[in-house]
Amino acid sequence: MTRRLTIGATIVATCCIALAYASAFVPGGARWGAWCMVVGLATMVVSLMTLGVVRRDRGVGRLAWPLAFTFVVIVAGFGAALVLPVEGPGARLLLGLPLRAAIVLYGVGLLPILVLPIAYAATFDSMTLSEDDLARVRALGVAHRERQDAARARGES
Amino acid sequence: MNVAGTFALLQGGTLPPLTQPTIIVVAVLYFAVVAAIGVWAARQTRSARDFFVAGKGIGLWTMAIAAMAATLSGFAFIGGPGLMYSVGLGAVFIVLPIGVTGTLGAWTLAKRIRLLGEARGLITVPDAIAARFNSRLARGLAAVAMLVAIVGYMATNILALGLVIDAIFGTGLTAGLWIGMGITLAYSVSGGILAGVYTDLFQGAVMAGASILVFLFTLKVGGGDAGFAGTILPVDAPFLAPWGKMTPLAALSFFFVFGIGSLGQPHVVHKFYMLREPRKLKWYPLIMSLAIVISLLLFIGVGLAVKSLVVRGALPPLVRPDDATPTFLLRFTPLLLSAVVFSGVAAAIMSTVNSFMSVGAAALTHDLPIAFGRRVGNELFWGRMSTVLISLVATAVAGASGTLVAFLGIFGWGLFASTLVPSLAIGLNWSGATRAGSIASIATGLGVTLVFETLAYLKVFTFPAGVTATALALVSSLLVFFVVSWFTRGTAAATLDADVRFVMEV
Repeated sequence: MTRRLTIGATIVATCCIALAYASAFVPGGARWGAWCMVVGLATMVVSLMTLGVVRRDRGVGRLAWPLAFTFVVIVAGFGAALVLPVEGPGARLLLGLPLRAAIVLYGVGLLPILVLPIAYAATFDSMTLSEDDLARVRALGVAHRERQDAARARGES
Repeated sequence: MNVAGTFALLQGGTLPPLTQPTIIVVAVLYFAVVAAIGVWAARQTRSARDFFVAGKGIGLWTMAIAAMAATLSGFAFIGGPGLMYSVGLGAVFIVLPIGVTGTLGAWTLAKRIRLLGEARGLITVPDAIAARFNSRLARGLAAVAMLVAIVGYMATNILALGLVIDAIFGTGLTAGLWIGMGITLAYSVSGGILAGVYTDLFQGAVMAGASILVFLFTLKVGGGDAGFAGTILPVDAPFLAPWGKMTPLAALSFFFVFGIGSLGQPHVVHKFYMLREPRKLKWYPLIMSLAIVISLLLFIGVGLAVKSLVVRGALPPLVRPDDATPTFLLRFTPLLLSAVVFSGVAAAIMSTVNSFMSVGAAALTHDLPIAFGRRVGNELFWGRMSTVLISLVATAVAGASGTLVAFLGIFGWGLFASTLVPSLAIGLNWSGATRAGSIASIATGLGVTLVFETLAYLKVFTFPAGVTATALALVSSLLVFFVVSWFTRGTAAATLDADVRFVMEV
């Protein structure tokens, strides 16, 4: 079910991004086109991650939080850059940059690095690849090689 | 990213002369280390498996740093700061996806690719597509698309390498081009991908170290008393807008093409096969992401510092944006550090060329024959011959026409992204994807990229701001992948072998 929903989300994301590019050919399309791209990008990034996370028919478990965080950071970061007022001389700075640029650079660019790799490592054994999983794959590899050797012995390609 | 950088480098057509004894000595030492790695790797390379996937025996740090170096290449040092000087902070959108791409690639591709290597003994990216979709046609199309893209990509890089060697040694462009290709070819033919990954490790470590040092110099001299923002904002506020001087759609399009498109870069994906112990992937995203962030400090620091120095009148406006890094290094950092960075640029380009040689040789020697139902007898020997052939073709193309080569480089990036992302990133994670969907999406990516890039190159039309042929090709191939898979959904289960299904579900 999760995988099916995720594929649906990836298709919606692709359509949003296609619409965003279509907006460039429409007079006055720049504003809604940018929003389409923001929503499409956030959805595509998170849905592709979710596709990789989901195993068999299970859900995303504890990874729901970092995945939701990523979606919110991308939409909120780029959204803030679209809606907040344009800065001029004397603008307030955040960590050495004007507010909107700081939100994009530090928020979208750096915040996920503090969360996603840690979440990946913390759940790796239970949700990505356990010793048992690897042993079963290696057993499949052995069986595959045996089938290949048998086929070669029979003179098949 | 690499193409954007080398393309930017090619726009200038040359670099400022760097022929100084310190720079020449460091460059010679650099090439000597690369040559030593090549000799060592040649002694370790005894089979096609060694030649193409380093015997599946490299460690996590080596793989992660090599993937980082192959991802960034010379772009981090030359093209990126120049682009930022031109368009402001919007240039950062090319590298902004690094916040997510390390983990995105690990979840969607790294485990699946590495486990397919374990279960099936696979060694190439088209191998994975063929195993997933049980299709020789999908393998062949992917190999053809990769070969076309690789020649373009390599030609662009070889020309950039020629420019750097000419600037350091004063050889002239044509000689620099053949010298650079000759050195790279020598260690690639003998040491294969093993030479490539350890050269990547060496140059990646140098890139990271040099990047930190140069960044500290940008903070020291770049901003002045008011800091970067305090200096630039009163004079050129759009430079520090989140989109820089680009439209929001154009900047966001960078995020799409370089973020999602990164999942289809074969020289990076290919490295997942090489990891000795699959469970070491646990720390791959963290190491990869941090290494890239460190290496990009130079990109952002120099881009901001040079703009700030120009605004303050400490530097005259640059004639060519790509002079940003050479100008800053030569005027504001110790000569030894400049020398390391310049040599690092040459080494970075060489290691990228080596990665493409290996991936291209595998496509030519391994994938295309299998697509036609045949196998090459001695893959190691023919892999070496293919490496020479691809390199000669790419160098000849590089020497033929500068602007055509730049076009081919852009074309190459687009081809990788649009032909490989759907079948790899989605196909390896969704059992509903079908063989027909994969073949149609690869063909669409190939066709749309070829037609739109050629029409744009010939100036038959120009796209509105923010729209590129690469982006259109990627979106089109994704849509075609979904639509065709839906219409042929009844065939999905039949083309999926049990062991591959297990790898996709584990």
